[in-house]
Amino acid sequence: MPQKNKGLSSLSERRKRFGWLIPFADLRLTLTLLSLSMILIFVATLEQVRVGIRGAQAEFFESMYGIWYYPTQFWGGEYFDSIPIPIPGGYLLGGLLILNLLAAFITRFQWTGKKMGIQFIHLGIIMLLIGQLATQAMQEESRMQIDKGESKNYLERFHGVELAFIDVTNPDTEQVVALPQDLLEQGGIHYAKDLPFKVKVLDFGPNCEFNSLPPAQKISGPAKGVNRGVIQTANLEIRPKAEDFSSEGMNFGYVVFELFDGSDSLGTWAAISHPAGNHWWAQINPKMGDLAFQPIRTNGRLWGATLRPQREYLPYSIELLGIANEFYQGTDIPFNFESEIVLKMEENQTRRALVYMNTPLRHAGKTFYQYQMNKAADYTVFQVVRNPSWLVPYIACILVSIGLLWQFSFHLLRFLTKSSKAGLASS
Amino acid sequence: MNEEKKSKKLKFLSWVLIICGIYFVFLPNRYTQASLLDFFKSEKDGKEEVINLDAFSRIPVLRGGRVKPMDSVARNTLLVLRNKRTALDENDTKVPAIQWLADVLFAPERADELKTFLIDHDQVLGLIGKKLVQDGKHFSYRDLEPFIEEIEASAQEAGKVEREFRTYFEQNIIELYHGLVLYRNLKTTLVPPPHAPSSAVHDHAELEPLFYNSEEDKDRTSEYQRFRQLTADLIKHPEKIVLGNKEALGPLMYFIDYYARYNLYAEFFPLPPEIGESGGKWRKIGESLVGTEPLESKEKATIDPTRFIATVQSLVRIDETELVENIQSIRENLKLDSTALFAAQYAEAIKLRKGIDPIIEDYEQLGIAYRNSDAVTFNTLVEKIRNQVDQRAPTDTATIAFEKTYNGYEPFYRSSIGYIWILVIACSSWLLSGYRKPGIGTNEASKTLLNSAYILTGLVLLAHTFGLAGRMYIEGRPPVTNLYSSALFISWGAVLLCFLTEKFLRLGIASSMGSLIGFGGLVVAHNLSIDSSLNPSGDTMEMMRAVLDSNFWLATHVVTITIGYSTTFLAGFLGIAYVFSLLVRFLFKRGNDGRELNSKLLSMIFGVTCFSLFFSLVGTVLGGIWADQSWGRFWGWDAKENGALLIVIWNAIILHARWAGVAKIRGLSALAIFGNVVTAWSWFGTNMLGVGLHAYGFMDKAFMPLMIFIGAQVAVIGLAYLPALFGLLTRKKHIQVI
Repeated sequence: MPQKNKGLSSLSERRKRFGWLIPFADLRLTLTLLSLSMILIFVATLEQVRVGIRGAQAEFFESMYGIWYYPTQFWGGEYFDSIPIPIPGGYLLGGLLILNLLAAFITRFQWTGKKMGIQFIHLGIIMLLIGQLATQAMQEESRMQIDKGESKNYLERFHGVELAFIDVTNPDTEQVVALPQDLLEQGGIHYAKDLPFKVKVLDFGPNCEFNSLPPAQKISGPAKGVNRGVIQTANLEIRPKAEDFSSEGMNFGYVVFELFDGSDSLGTWAAISHPAGNHWWAQINPKMGDLAFQPIRTNGRLWGATLRPQREYLPYSIELLGIANEFYQGTDIPFNFESEIVLKMEENQTRRALVYMNTPLRHAGKTFYQYQMNKAADYTVFQVVRNPSWLVPYIACILVSIGLLWQFSFHLLRFLTKSSKAGLASS
Repeated sequence: MNEEKKSKKLKFLSWVLIICGIYFVFLPNRYTQASLLDFFKSEKDGKEEVINLDAFSRIPVLRGGRVKPMDSVARNTLLVLRNKRTALDENDTKVPAIQWLADVLFAPERADELKTFLIDHDQVLGLIGKKLVQDGKHFSYRDLEPFIEEIEASAQEAGKVEREFRTYFEQNIIELYHGLVLYRNLKTTLVPPPHAPSSAVHDHAELEPLFYNSEEDKDRTSEYQRFRQLTADLIKHPEKIVLGNKEALGPLMYFIDYYARYNLYAEFFPLPPEIGESGGKWRKIGESLVGTEPLESKEKATIDPTRFIATVQSLVRIDETELVENIQSIRENLKLDSTALFAAQYAEAIKLRKGIDPIIEDYEQLGIAYRNSDAVTFNTLVEKIRNQVDQRAPTDTATIAFEKTYNGYEPFYRSSIGYIWILVIACSSWLLSGYRKPGIGTNEASKTLLNSAYILTGLVLLAHTFGLAGRMYIEGRPPVTNLYSSALFISWGAVLLCFLTEKFLRLGIASSMGSLIGFGGLVVAHNLSIDSSLNPSGDTMEMMRAVLDSNFWLATHVVTITIGYSTTFLAGFLGIAYVFSLLVRFLFKRGNDGRELNSKLLSMIFGVTCFSLFFSLVGTVLGGIWADQSWGRFWGWDAKENGALLIVIWNAIILHARWAGVAKIRGLSALAIFGNVVTAWSWFGTNMLGVGLHAYGFMDKAFMPLMIFIGAQVAVIGLAYLPALFGLLTRKKHIQVI
C-alpha cells in the first residue's frame, strides 16, 4: 500500500485512532444483538394477540425494555405465567445495533472497492434503523370521514382527544378553542385569550365505562361532583378503564372540568367522546345526544363543549362525489373500494381524483388512503398519514440493493472462474 | 469386454428409470384422466349413441367470481365434500366427478345414493348412528337425510363458539353442515326448490294451476311462461297494480318472491350475459326471471304497502329506457329506503326481465334427455348450450378448454409421484456407493443412478413448472396468489435451486433434498386445498381481495419473499442431510472420509443461505414499499411482517456466525435447520395468531402438523450434537467428529 494513503481510509490508522470503539465492533456483539432481536420480535408478535399491535408496539418496540408474562394458554402456562420476563426493547437493541454497525464501519471495514458491497449493505441497514426510529417519532396517523356530497376540511386523530369549546352565537362563523389531550392529561387551570372563561380540568381518562342510573340514585366515581350538563341530567356514572390498544378497541375518553368566570365557578361539567363520532350519542340514548354539544351560556354568548377526537384543520378541503364498492360476482370478495373526490385547494383551484386500493391521494405532505367505506350510508373514510421521513427507507433500499448486487456478482464471478478453471483442469 | 457389457447394462438401467419417470409425469396413465398429449389434441368427438359427459364438462359457468368449466365445479365441490375429486357408488367404485355432478343436477335421486360426504370424526359419526370400523367414513345424502335437523341444530350451537375456541367436534359438525348446504344448493341450481306458498298469505287454489305440472307440462319453462303472462298482462294494464287487487297481484308477488329467493339456493351462475348487455354479468335462473332482492328478505317487513304499490305502478307506466334510468337512480340515491328499493325490483321483474332465456329451456331439456339416457338429444343440446355461451361471453370462455384438460392432467399430483421416484433413486445410489471397494475409484452403478436422478429432477421440474404456468395462464396472475400457491411455489423454487446445484456437485444430496422439499411442499399444498376453512369453495384459484389485487406487487414482493422461504428451507434440509451423513459415519465408524463431503456441504449451505438472505431481505423491503404505497407506513410491526423480518435476521445470524468463526459445519447446519422452524413460523404460525393485516386464513388444523414439524427440527438439531455428547461421555477424545 502506498505511503500517502495514511489517512482515515487506512484501516490500521482508524483502528489506532478509534481504539476504544473496537470492542463495540465485535461480531459476537452483533450476533448477540441479532439473537435478542429475534426474541424481541417473536415475543412482541405473540403479545399482539393479547394487547393488539399498538399495545405491543408501545410495550416492546418503542421502549428500552418490556416485561413479558408467559402466556397461560401455552404448555405449562399455569405454572410459568406469573414470572415476569424482561425483554430488551426496540430502542435499546436498535440503538446498540446502530452503535455496533458504526463501530464496525470505523474499526473493521476496509474502505476498498472490493468490499464496497458490504459497506453499502450496512449503510443501508443503518439508514433503515434510523428511519424507523424517526418514523416512530414523527409519523402522525389520522382519519377523515366524508359523507357523499359533503366537504371536509379537517382530520381526526385515531388516538387522542381534545376538549373543544365552540362559539355558535353568530350563525355564520364558528369560533373553536380546543384543549388537546396533553393539556387534559396535565390537569390544572387553562386560559385562552378567546375563551371568556377559565377551564379547570378535574379528571381525565382515555377510556371509561358509563351507565345511566335512575334519577334518585347518587353517582360515584369521577363524575361525582358534576352539577351541570348532560352527565348530570342523564345521571351518568363514569368508571375509568384502561385504554384498549387493539385495532378494534373502542376507547371512550372522558373529562371532568369546572369553568370559572373570573373567580366565580360556573359549574362542573363532564364530557365523553364517542370513538365513532359524537353524533352516535343520540342513537345510543336520546338523553345523551347533547354530548356532541353541551350548551354553555355566558355573557350573552352561546358556547358548546364537546370532547372529540383531536382535530387538525387543513388549508384545503375534500368533497366526496361518490363511492364504489364492488365484489366479484357470486362471492363476498371485494375487488374494488373507490372514492371519487374533488380536492379544493387555496385560490379556488380544484382537482378531481380517484382514491382506491394501492392508489392514495398525495397532497401537501399528506397522503390519503382508502380505509373504510359504507355503501348503504354513503360515506368513506380515509386514513391520512404525514410521515416526513418516508423517503429514508427508499434510499436505504437502494443502497442495500446495490450492495447486495455488488457483493453477489463478485462471488458469482469468482465461483464461475473457479469452476471453469476446475473444468479445464479435469479435462 | 466385461466392462463394456456392464456399461451397456447401466445405460439401459438409466433409460428405464427415466422412461418410468416420463410415464409418471407426462404420459397417459391410469391414475389421471389426461396427459400432456391432450393439450395438443383437439376435443375428441364423442360417439353419437353415448352420453358425452366430456363435452358436458366443458360448458362454462360462473362460480366463485370466475368463469370455469363445469368440470372444475364438479371437482372443486367434491374436494370440499369428500376431500377427493371423485365420488363413490354403493360398491365403493369411483365415480368421476363430472358424472356425479350430472347426477346431482339432473337425476338427484340417483346422486343421493352416491357416497359424497366424508365424515371421519367419531362423535359426528355417533350423531348419525354410525361407527368408523363398521360403516366406513363415506356417506351418501340418503344416509344423512334423516339427521339433517339434528346436524343443523348442533352446527348452529357450535357456530356460537368463537372460531379460535371451537373443539374438533364443533369444527367437524360445522363443516358437515356447510357441505350439506353446498350439496343442496347444487341440486337446486338448475331446478328450483319445491313450491311452498303459505296458506296464510296466498290463495292456494289460485296458484296451483300456475305451478309446473310434470304430467301436463313439457318442462319447467311452461311455469315460467305462465309467470310471464302475468307480467305481460300488467304491462298492458298498469292500472291493475293497486292495493287490494289480490287477483292480479297475489300470484305475481308470490312468483317474484319465490324466484328471487331461488337465487339464494343456486350454487353457480349458468346463464352468460345477454347479447348487447354491458357489464358482463352472469345470471342465475331466478335472477334471469325476476332480478335479485335489493336487501335481505326480512327487510320486506318494513315496507309501506301503499307507497310500494303506487311506486311500482308509476314505474311500470313509464317507458323502458327511462325505467332503466329511474331504477338506477333509486338504487343509487335511496339506499336506505326499502320501499323504493323493493318497488324498483318489482318493476324490473315485471317490465325489464322479458322472455325466458333460451339456455334455461336447453338445460331443462338436457335434464330430461339425461334421465331418459337419450344420448343423441343430450349431445345436441350440450353443443347448443356451448355455442350460445361462446357467442354471448366470448372473452370469458377463452381458457375453458385449457382448464378442463389441466384439471385432468393433475400436474402437481404427477410431480409429487415423480419426486418420490427421484428420492428413491438418489437414496439407492448412496446404498450402492457404500459397497464400493476401496481403491477402485467411483462406483459406476452409483454414478448412473445419480445421473438418472439429476435428469429426472429436470423432467419433473418441467411438469411442476407447467403446473404453475397453467395456473398463471388460467388466472392471469403471477404464480403466488394465496397460501396454497405459495406451497407450490416454495417447493418449485427449492427444486430448481437443487437442480442447478446438482449440475455442479453431482452428489445426489441436492437431488434428494430437492425431491424431499418438492414432495413435502406439494403434500402441504394438497392439505391446504382440502382445508375447508381456508378454501371454502374448493377452488384453489380464488379471486383476490381488493388490496392484494395488484399484479405488480404480487409479482415482485410476494414472489421474492416466497423464494426467500424456499431457499431458507433448502439450506435447512441441506443441514439435515449433513446431520444424517454425520450419524451414518458415527454409527458405522467410517471415520475420516467425510471431510471432503463436509466442505462441499458447508459451501452449499453457505451459498444457499446467501441467496436466502438476499431474497428475504429484498422481499421484505419490497413488502415495506408496498405497505407504504397502500397504507402509508413502511413498517407496521404486523405479524406477517415480523415473521419475514425474523427470517432475514436469522439468515444474517447464520452468515455472521460463519464469518465470525463461531460456527463450523455442525453449528452452521444446526443454525440452518433452525431456519426451517423460523420459516415455518413465518409462513404458517403468524396466520394462526389471527391478528394483523395478513391474517387471510386462520388455520386451526395446521397447528398440530406445525408443532410436529418444529419438534422434528429441534430433534434433528439435537441429533447433530449426539456424537459429540457421546464422545464427551465416553471420553474418547480421539474420535474426531468434524
